[in-house]
Amino acid sequence: MPVVKVLTEGIGEFDLRDIAVYRERGGYVQLQRALTEMKPADVADITMKSGLRGRGGAGFPTGRKWSFLPNNGRPRYMVCNCDEAEPGTFKDHMLLEETPHQVLEGILLGTYAIGSNHAFVYVRGEFDRGYRILMKALADARAAGFVGERLFGTDYSVEVTVQRGAGAYICGEETALINSLEGRRGEPRLKPPFPAVKGLYGEPTVVNNVETLATLPHLLKNGPEWFASVGPARSPGYKIVSISGHVNAPGNYEVPLGTPLRELLELAGGPRAGRRIVAIQPGGGSSACLFEEHLELGYDFDTMAANGTMLGSGAVVFFDDSTNFVEAALALVRFYAHESCGQCTPCREGGHWLEVTLERILNGGGLDSDIDMLIAVSHQMTGINLCPLGDSIEPFLASVVKRFETQFRSYVRSPQREAIPA
Amino acid sequence: MSPTPRDFAAVVAQVEPEARRLIARYPAGRGRSALIPILHEFQNVEGWVSPEALAQCAAWIGEPLAVVESTASFYTLFHRRPVGRYMLQPCRNLSCVINGAGGVMRHFREQLGIGHLQTTSDGLFSYEEAECLAACDRAPCMQVNLQFVYDLTNEKVDMMLAQMRAGTYEVPPLPQSAAPAATWNVTADGKKSAGAQGVSMPNDPGGLGDASGVRMIERLTKEPYPIEVRPTKERLVADGAARLGAPLQNTSEH
Repeated sequence: MPVVKVLTEGIGEFDLRDIAVYRERGGYVQLQRALTEMKPADVADITMKSGLRGRGGAGFPTGRKWSFLPNNGRPRYMVCNCDEAEPGTFKDHMLLEETPHQVLEGILLGTYAIGSNHAFVYVRGEFDRGYRILMKALADARAAGFVGERLFGTDYSVEVTVQRGAGAYICGEETALINSLEGRRGEPRLKPPFPAVKGLYGEPTVVNNVETLATLPHLLKNGPEWFASVGPARSPGYKIVSISGHVNAPGNYEVPLGTPLRELLELAGGPRAGRRIVAIQPGGGSSACLFEEHLELGYDFDTMAANGTMLGSGAVVFFDDSTNFVEAALALVRFYAHESCGQCTPCREGGHWLEVTLERILNGGGLDSDIDMLIAVSHQMTGINLCPLGDSIEPFLASVVKRFETQFRSYVRSPQREAIPA
Repeated sequence: MSPTPRDFAAVVAQVEPEARRLIARYPAGRGRSALIPILHEFQNVEGWVSPEALAQCAAWIGEPLAVVESTASFYTLFHRRPVGRYMLQPCRNLSCVINGAGGVMRHFREQLGIGHLQTTSDGLFSYEEAECLAACDRAPCMQVNLQFVYDLTNEKVDMMLAQMRAGTYEVPPLPQSAAPAATWNVTADGKKSAGAQGVSMPNDPGGLGDASGVRMIERLTKEPYPIEVRPTKERLVADGAARLGAPLQNTSEH
């Protein structure tokens, strides 16, 4: 079994929320080393060479994202995105609650690497406990001299501001998150300009995911080659995979990228007794389903993309042969309809229409043509919105409607349908 | 438990030191960034975000009330009307739904006698079917006053509700500074197509289709807009300051 412990090392065995425990296990050593022995560019260089790709969903190379910051002498900001709300994802939540100092050390390293003196952490509003744990960790780190003025006797000073959101999935999109940090409605901005050029308060800003930043201390400790040598060349490293659905032991599993989906299924305890896995959603609510014939595929960014889906946030949901895919589709469509910020008409209206249509099908009042309309509307609303939210309905919906069309059609063939005038 | 008698001046006195500290965390002149955290503070004290709290936020951050309203109305965690002592939020998203959340939600509705986005008449329970809470490995899951409860079953729900009614449940009840109405949502969920809450539909009370809306349209089309009340940001802020005090200043360096 390819389970590894890098970011998850010590979780469940030690109380890593205690700064003394974290330090005993090597915590904050890399921060001190970076600040006293390395230039910011050295940290950025290691990140670039490691091939680390963003763990939030888009999979953009982290080092390259940083390299887009202009050298214009303006203040810069590092923003850590802990607004985890992609359906099926629960890794950032776990990192925040179980190992907040590792997250904080990663944030501080990233902030140093991009030449910034102020980091913001945006924590999802529902993570009340995680927020309080992080605030305690921040106070302890400040008292220990890891946050604040002139750290380790150098000229480098850094401030960290933690803010809770208030219940909006869209704030995980980086420009919506920035608007929310500014006290505005969490509506995505038109891009360009990208945050690297004009972000928080109009200044150059980097937004990185929790897991991405938490990887930085390990890159410094073990070197970029260690990370780059694991998994496929263009999709290297370790990844925490949140596995849920119809498996015996759902949970977070850290594995090398490229691990076959079948091994992920086995790690998570396999299917329930007497059941067979018929579909896999490999990258969060916004990704298209794969099916049983895809179980041998390696789980990495490029293999998933080559098969018409994505690795996304690393949330894998397994569905067995007991699944009602009409209900499953409604759960996700309703989510995107509910979370649409309302700026773009295709997303706002399309999501609502699809939700109402699926409800009608599920309640036995659907028409045969509704099935085709699901495909048509979800396709028409894709690719024409400010942000990817409106594009997130089609992948799952279209993939399950096509694959399990019989199940969808069985609902519209119910007797109630006759009562509806054509 | 009846609502705690409300003394809004005392609420303001309680929130103000924290509001000052929150504003100071952001770069100078960026007090608006503290808006969402300050709204959380008001809700922590009162259980909801009242119109008076919105006005006080506007005065503190030096922005017009409309700016505060626009932000507050976007975020579903802010209760714009009073809610019950226990906010019950089972997850209705994918991993929970394929693991029996539908039955648990049905059980909740039957046991409480209310539906999505509603509050019981005794003011004890508010019920909202929530989106993915990031605890899919322990499905079906829920939050009670933002604290997680995992691996839900009907029996677990029954036990939880009994303990809440008896006042022995482990999660403390929410503050409640006013009696809740049947729903705290400004617009019933099913009627809107936009994602944001608080969008009034044409035929809702106060919407453009009702009598007051018609009168407003008539006035706007027939009478010239009275120039002396045209709101400028400066005027609105000054107006707030006259009633609620000057904006809190951020004197920090960064």
